Amino acid sequence: MSYEMWVEKYRPRSLNEMVNQKEIVERLNSFVKTRNIPHCIFAGPPGTGKTTGALCLAHDLYGEGFREHLMELNASDERGINVVRETVKTFARTRSIGEIPFKIMILDEADNMTSDAQQALRRTMERFTETCRFILICNYSGKIIEPIQSRCAPFRFSYLSREDQHSYLQQIIQKENVNMLDAGLTAVFEVSGGDLRRTVNTVQAAASSGKPIDAETVYSVVGRANPADVREMMIIAMKGDFVGARKKLREMILKYGLAGSDIIRQIHIEIFRSDVPERWKIRLADAIGEVDFRLIQGADEEIQLSALLARLTEAGYEMQRGA
Amino acid sequence: MYNAWTVKHKPRTLSEIVGNEESIRILTSWINSWSEAVPKKRAAFLYGPPGVGKTVAVEALANDLKMELVEKNASDSRTAEAVQRFAGLASQYGTLSGGKRVVLLDELDGITGTADRGGVRAVIEAIKTARFPVVLTANNAYDPRFSTLRRYCLLVEFKKPTIFQVIKRLKKICVKEEIMAADAALKLIAERSGRDVRSAINDLQTLTQGRKQLTYEDVAWLAERDRKEVIFNVLRTIFYAKDCTEAKRAIDSASMDVDMLFQWVYENAPYQLTDPRDLVEAMEALAEADVYRGRIRATQNWKLLRYVLDFMTAGVAMSRRRTKPSGWVPFRFPERIQWLSRTKKERQMRKLIGMKIRRKMHVSSVRAVKEILPYIRVIFEDNAEMATGIAKWLDFDQDMIGYLAGSKGRAKAIVAKLE
Repeated sequence: MSYEMWVEKYRPRSLNEMVNQKEIVERLNSFVKTRNIPHCIFAGPPGTGKTTGALCLAHDLYGEGFREHLMELNASDERGINVVRETVKTFARTRSIGEIPFKIMILDEADNMTSDAQQALRRTMERFTETCRFILICNYSGKIIEPIQSRCAPFRFSYLSREDQHSYLQQIIQKENVNMLDAGLTAVFEVSGGDLRRTVNTVQAAASSGKPIDAETVYSVVGRANPADVREMMIIAMKGDFVGARKKLREMILKYGLAGSDIIRQIHIEIFRSDVPERWKIRLADAIGEVDFRLIQGADEEIQLSALLARLTEAGYEMQRGA
Repeated sequence: MYNAWTVKHKPRTLSEIVGNEESIRILTSWINSWSEAVPKKRAAFLYGPPGVGKTVAVEALANDLKMELVEKNASDSRTAEAVQRFAGLASQYGTLSGGKRVVLLDELDGITGTADRGGVRAVIEAIKTARFPVVLTANNAYDPRFSTLRRYCLLVEFKKPTIFQVIKRLKKICVKEEIMAADAALKLIAERSGRDVRSAINDLQTLTQGRKQLTYEDVAWLAERDRKEVIFNVLRTIFYAKDCTEAKRAIDSASMDVDMLFQWVYENAPYQLTDPRDLVEAMEALAEADVYRGRIRATQNWKLLRYVLDFMTAGVAMSRRRTKPSGWVPFRFPERIQWLSRTKKERQMRKLIGMKIRRKMHVSSVRAVKEILPYIRVIFEDNAEMATGIAKWLDFDQDMIGYLAGSKGRAKAIVAKLE
């Protein structure tokens, strides 16, 4: 077994190595053939190959020395107008040496940029089109301002099918000598929900125990990666102790640094596993979906999730009254 | 169940009351005079600022004289008819037990709204025929609406107690609650309350929540901002507003940081709105306000702030429909803010680890912390071999290894392998 993060070690280097998103890869390959690319927006959920696609594209376009023609900026870490003005401009305005006359700027998590920063970006994109092409990566293209969207070729990435994930995992399992049981594999797919990064991280963490991986191992990894007990929090809320449940939630987010999206996913799983009346499950699913959507849009995790806990408290109360 | 000290430690007898000795003497002799003949003024009108003990004095007096106290808070009987019906008790003959009776009509200021036209007149009619002492209370007896009413009443003014008297009262409570409080701390509370005993006791209870000691420093955070009073007033307005306009006005009065106020409202909502059906509406309103905050962040368009304010004031206020009134519930300092400072070190550590991950793994540090770090932690707990490799690859320092490994033994093993 090798001792780095497998996600990185087995990240495809070239477009041909990508196992999924067939149509997208095809279009990107045609860019490589014509040796020219437009500005692009790669939109889609996490772990579906957006960043990898952009890196592979650059690799195939420029060859091994592609890093010299490429800059990666993460808008979540370096957002704001000034970064766009300075860093981006400095990079964008100098001409690339070599046979391809432009460089590539990958702007990851671009949906986290303020609209002012996006406006500034738009002008930069226009001014330096000759020398620099932008690939904006985001979860949700709706948060990119219209003028930028209209200047970019859109690519929509979607969650990976089990088959695609399977064929990708196969090589890791072989090369790393992972003892993966069928039940373990099914469990991995269930908990990762088509997010390949999560799939690989889960497999690596499960493999680190050194034991054959069954479903139990997988669930225990997920449970330990998310140490706070989501189920217990839900029970507390439904029993009527909203304040207690909110405290648990706060602990998960602030003490353990859990992602709101992980908590909400677990709530969703737990609701359907629970013994609440069937029609309540679907009612609550609606509330859960709404919160999930708001979190994607960047709302405050604790506020939104505790609004959901209040819903659970209310649901518990109504169920007891037989409503 | 929450138990307000203002209720728990309410004086039961006149001897326990501090201040206003002269006013209480006048009131007592007036009530005593009823046993000889119906006096000229059949009502006593106690007036003075909030929290000086008007109601408490009447209750203690009735208790001392073994009189039946019939009490009505005027602000929750909204129509003239209701007031009349209640005040009618004063003119009926005899009590059930055959004893004496005092009729207390509390917070008269509350019945003077337009909806209560005729309310004051109903009170006057009741006084004219009263066969038992009627006691009225209000903050301001010289309100023009009371001009006729005053002629039928013995006016008794209640003044604010001295700082010393307030401190004395707080000390008594501390003894009963077994709290060690510094004199300077109590003095500060008394001063800050503006000599309002009720508010001072509420502050004392809030400040000693869950502890048995109170130092000057504990109270000093009150001193450093008179803001608290502002915040409490704003919260009171928001949680008890009768309509949207009133709730929204709360914000006008406060030149306060909106985010801070939001945290206060968010913290206190479940304590103020105890019915789950009300709470869910209030939390939804706050979540809605938060959505608008996000929209402001995204667009930098501050015009949208008005919707944030709508939801966090009026939205919360209008949620109160089924929660049973349970007396005064003190406001709590936002726990989330305390948590943020308590977990600062851990978050700082995670952030540093996130920066290391970011460099190698093409994700933002924020996402690295949430999506990758948890799995690394599992690996560090299970497999020192693999952990060492990852620590090397990501260039973790000893502190980071210590944080991820969770135990000193495991961290040591990994560090040893690294070297």
